[in-house]
Order: sequence, then structure tokens, then C-alpha cells
Amino acid sequence: MAPARYCVPGERLCSLEEGTPGSGTYTHHGFIFASLAGCFMKKSENGMLPVVSVMRDVDSQLLPDVGATVTCKVCSINSRFAKVHILYVGSTPLKSPFRGTIRREDIRATEKDKVEVYKSFRPGDIVLAKVISLGDVQSNYLLTTAENELGVVVAHSEADVRMVPISWCEMQCPSTHAKELRKVARVQPEFLQT
Amino acid sequence: MAGLELLSEQGFRLDGRRAGELRQLRARMGVFAQADGSAYLEQGNTKALAVVYGPHELRGSRGKAPHAQALVNCQYSMATFSTAERKRRPHGDRASAEMSLHLKQTFEAALLTRLFPRSQIDIYVQILQADGGNYCAAVNAATLALLDAGIPMRDYVCACSAGFLEDTALADLNYVEEAAGGPQLALALLPQAQHIALLELNARLHQDHLPRVLDAATQACRHLHALLDRVVREHLRDAAALLGK
Amino acid sequence: MASVVLSEAEKVYIMHGVQEDLRVDGRSCEDYRCAEVETDVVSNTSGSARVKLGHTDILVGVKAEMGTPKLDKPNEGSLEFFVDCSANATPEFEGRGGEELGTEIANTLYRIFNNESSIDLKLLCINPREHCWVLYVDVLLLECGGNLFDAISLAVKAALFNTRIPKVRVLEDEGGREIELSDDPFDCIRLNVDNVPCIVTLSKIGHRHIVDATLQEEACSLASLLISVTSRGALTCMKKMGRGSLDPESIFEMMETGKRVGKLLHSSLQTVLDEEENLGTARKKVGFLG
Repeated sequence: MAPARYCVPGERLCSLEEGTPGSGTYTHHGFIFASLAGCFMKKSENGMLPVVSVMRDVDSQLLPDVGATVTCKVCSINSRFAKVHILYVGSTPLKSPFRGTIRREDIRATEKDKVEVYKSFRPGDIVLAKVISLGDVQSNYLLTTAENELGVVVAHSEADVRMVPISWCEMQCPSTHAKELRKVARVQPEFLQT
Repeated sequence: MAGLELLSEQGFRLDGRRAGELRQLRARMGVFAQADGSAYLEQGNTKALAVVYGPHELRGSRGKAPHAQALVNCQYSMATFSTAERKRRPHGDRASAEMSLHLKQTFEAALLTRLFPRSQIDIYVQILQADGGNYCAAVNAATLALLDAGIPMRDYVCACSAGFLEDTALADLNYVEEAAGGPQLALALLPQAQHIALLELNARLHQDHLPRVLDAATQACRHLHALLDRVVREHLRDAAALLGK
Repeated sequence: MASVVLSEAEKVYIMHGVQEDLRVDGRSCEDYRCAEVETDVVSNTSGSARVKLGHTDILVGVKAEMGTPKLDKPNEGSLEFFVDCSANATPEFEGRGGEELGTEIANTLYRIFNNESSIDLKLLCINPREHCWVLYVDVLLLECGGNLFDAISLAVKAALFNTRIPKVRVLEDEGGREIELSDDPFDCIRLNVDNVPCIVTLSKIGHRHIVDATLQEEACSLASLLISVTSRGALTCMKKMGRGSLDPESIFEMMETGKRVGKLLHSSLQTVLDEEENLGTARKKVGFLG
């Protein structure tokens, strides 16, 4: 295998005509420069310009971006919103959790005014959500669960037993058979046993 | 003081260096495993330790955060045993606060902060032994720590100090030369683009001499860049060798 | 203190392992992690030492300055401790965040040195009631990986061993007394650290107790006992820390373990320090570069 070529920030890699900038690079005055210290990679795709990027051995911290699906844990709820800690972005865990908010009108796509936060989430639930905004001066990340695939994934009943989803709005405790209201995420077909 | 000539007739300084020569530089990246990035740097007898955390969520009030950019938060601290006379407080005094602001200004120019909106990058520098050129050693150590953490940067930031004595421009002043009271210039440079991130001049200097002093500092920064580059490439090779590539 | 969040499953795993005398990294309940001790790391101090115990990194610098003796102890010098929990260890220590932990550690150090036998302060006296040496022991916490007190006490002992205080001569004059510092840099007083105690922290997890807990193990233990032991096995100070409660029998058991472990710790530290001393100036200083 050819010896890896290392590059350092500020090193000029190539011009914009020879490649498109990928991760770990930035453009300036029509040239692509490296912005990380790592291995230089050039991946050529069919027909298009090769993508020039710099790879590191260890992945650096990923930040939640608008439109990304995140996994979060509910910390507290009140009548207007639920506060969550964002733990995973996609499938990569975050080194330190970020705080987020799910507003009452973003919990469901339909009948938004009839939603009650207490009947959708409880503290301690693990929720799959999508980032709609990075937030401004006043608020944290704003998340939404207004899709079928988004919502509560793991929840514990009042008897502290993990509950099983039975419909889009209900989960049942297997030991006490009590039903609790949650906004449940649609279970992926591969996990259903039929 | 008798016998204490900062620049001898043959052109040698107190520690035997020539006018434009740098002190010995030794550095190591990845000193601490728990931080996101860390580096240790020795420039002569000045020892600096830099640690980087981030990018992570904003701590403190969100009102202070710049719009659509990461907040760069620096703290410069000197160990109480670092100076010849014991320092009472490691940080929190005006000199450390000023240095922290200078570091923040320097790195905001070099980091690609637009990639991390609504987040915070912490840079903490600790001076373990102070023998002149504290700010410059801090900047160089912080550059290595940022590279170790993998935070995208426009370019290296290399810093060096320069002075002017008896019609000669001196590069990389140590404590005795700084305390002598002549003009001192601190320069932080982005070497590839030749951009100046921070420039600070103390004491009076005639306008005609300024280009020579600036030139000496720029040359010294370029030498530093070559040395730091060597350290980084060695570190990359060692890291790749450990992973078995 | 910098803490780590553990899930219930991880806590149960650690607790079950400890009951079987097997910890997460393979140690037994009474084993210390691999420790690196190096003295004379910072040059413009009278003495310095660096201790790296697993992920815990401590740097201690001792500076000797001339001062006046305390009124109730006119023939003795004094030791002043200052602990700086730097932001390097965790971002929570930025600004004044590390002050609380720093004061707690400094107060503990004052207490363990507060007896007459730990260190001979009469050696530090120059002129009774007028001049004496004050040793400022400054501890810098660089990285926090659990078990801070043990590492700090090891570093303080090593730094005091490394301290070289210049010899002074008192010249009697008509106007008053003049103090003359000797010119020879190798002509100095060394301190006798044979009786300097070391701290051993024992954390109770389940029914057993462990020595040298990592951050994860500290999160599982509800109560711990901190004892300071001299090299002969004498206790100079004892303190119980943590939210939980201990019953008296476990306290006595932990004390016995602490004394046993403490004696071993002292002998290993002394071996390393003597080795360094024998190498003298031929020793290659590594510091943070190695």
C-alpha cells in the first residue's frame, strides 16, 4: 500500500478545478487547504470530481445539526415543553450531552392543540427526535417528534419495568398490564415479530 | 550591573545565542488522555502546558455567544511556583485576564468557528515555568493541543517575541532580556498565509527600526513553524504506527 | 470533584467484581495502579515532584522563602500549603470552580502535617523569633483520574525530599543581625522525610473496601475512609468522607488494611527516591516529554 501522505492545517492540497472539498478542508481563493492534521484522502467518484478530504484516526466531536435524527433522554416536563438531554447524533455517542427542548406543538403532526405533554413523554424516557433549529439566545436546540418514526423508544412504567409499545399512543407494562399514554415511535419492521 | 551585557561585542547574548537564534524547542502532543487535546511545550526554560476541551455545549449564558459561530473560551494561568518570586494567585489577576483575552483573540482568527455554531471550545494554558516569552509559548502549546484535538484550523499559529538592543533586533527574548526594559514585540503569525493574528509592542521604538524588529520576529515564527510541523508529523506517524497501519 | 456518570448496569458490574476481589482493570482490592514519580521537574523552585497515578497527574513545587516565625512557635519554621485545581483537569474547574476542592485538600494537608513528628520544623529556624524559613508547598492538579489525596501526598513527600534549602549564616553586627546566603549552590539543608505521612484512601464498595479507586469506582462507593500513615505504620489523621455511613467494624478493618498498604507504599516510594538520588546529576530528566 502506498505510504500515507500526512497533511497539516494550512497546507495547500489542490485547486478547486481538480477536486471538491470534503471534510477536514476549507477553500480560499480558488484552492483547497487542509484544516486538520491527518491523512490525505482522495476519493474519485464516477463522472464527478474527486472528493478531497483529511481523515483523522480518532473522530472528533460531532455536533447536532439541523435535520439530524438524535436520540435523547427526557429530563423534565411541564405543560408547554419537555426538556431533554441529547445523547446520540445518529449512531455516534456524544462525549458530553447537549440540552434540547421539544415544544408542545412539535410533539405531533396532527391535532397539535389537543396534545398534552404529560400524556406524550415522562422523565426518563428515551426519545428519537429530529433537530429543527439550533436555537437562539433564549433557547436550546429545538427538536420535533412530529413524524411516525419519531417519539418514545424506551420507557419504564411506574413499576419500573420496561414497557412494550402497543399502538402509536399507548405502551403496556408486561408485569402489571397497565397501559400508559406516550407518543410512541413506529417500530421498525425488522424488529417486529409476526 | 557589571558583567551583565545583554549583547556582547562578538554578537553573543547572555545564554550564548546569536541575535536571531531561537531557544531550544521541545514539544509533545497527547500528554493527557482524558482531555480532548493536550500538548506540552518547552521553549528554553519556559514550560507551557495546553489542554483543549470541545466543541461542547455552551456553558454560562447563551447571550454572550456569538451568532452562528463557536465561542472560544481561553484561560491563561501561571503556576504559583513558575516565577522566581512566588505568585500568590495562579489566575484571576489583571495580567492573566489580559493574556486570556489575547489568546482568545489570536485563536478566533485561526479556528474555523463557523463550523460549530452554538457551541464552545475551551483552551486552558498553564505555565509551569516562566522564563520569558510566556505568551508565545502559550500560543505554540495551544496550537499543538488544538491539532491534537482535531479542531479544524485555518493554519498553524506560531508566536515569537522580539526586541531591539544596540541597533540589533533580537529574537525570542528570555526573562533577563525582557526585564532589561527595552522595546518588546510579541507576534502571532499564521505562517502559510503570512497573516498576523496578534501584534503587541511595549515601550518606545523608533519607527525606522520597526520593520527590522518585525522581520526578526517573522523569521523566528517561520523557524518555529518548521519545528512545530516536525513535531506534528512525528506524532501522526507514531499514532498511525500504534494503530498498525 | 470531577465525576463520571455511570449507568446502573456498570455500577452492578463493578460491585460484583469487587466482591470477587477482581476490579475492572484486573487489580486486586489492595493494589495500586502503576505510578510514576519524578523529582526536580521545575527548576526555579527549591524542590519539585511530579506523580502520575493512572490518569491522575499532580505537580508539586516547594519554594523556600524567608519569613518570621509564628508567635506561639518562635523556634520553628512553617509549612504553607496551596492547592490549585487547574482547569486542565476538567472545564468545571475554570475560574473559581476548583476553589472548593482545593481548599478541602489543603486543609487535609494541614491536618496531617499538624503534629510534631512529621517534619522537623526546628531545622527551618534561622534566628529565633526573628527569621525562619517558610516552605510554600504548591500543589497543581493537572488531571483528575480518581484517588487525588493519595497521589497528592506522594507528590508532597517526594517534593519535600527533593527540597534543597540554602544554608545561611547569621553575622552579628552593631546595627543588627545580617543574614548571608552561602554562595555554593550545593551547600544546602535537606529535609528528613522519614516520618512524613502518606494518605491512603479506602473506598467501601458493597461489603469490601478497595484502595486507589478510579473515577468509576469512586462513583460506585458511598463512603470512604482517608487515613494518613507514616512509614512505621503510625496513624496521624483519619477522616471519613462520602454520603454513606460506615459501621465501626468496617472502620477498624479498613484501618488495618490502610496501615498495611501504607507501609508498602512508603517503602516503594523511598526506593524510587533513593534510586534517583544515587543517579544524581547523571539522571536524565524526562518530565512531560516522555
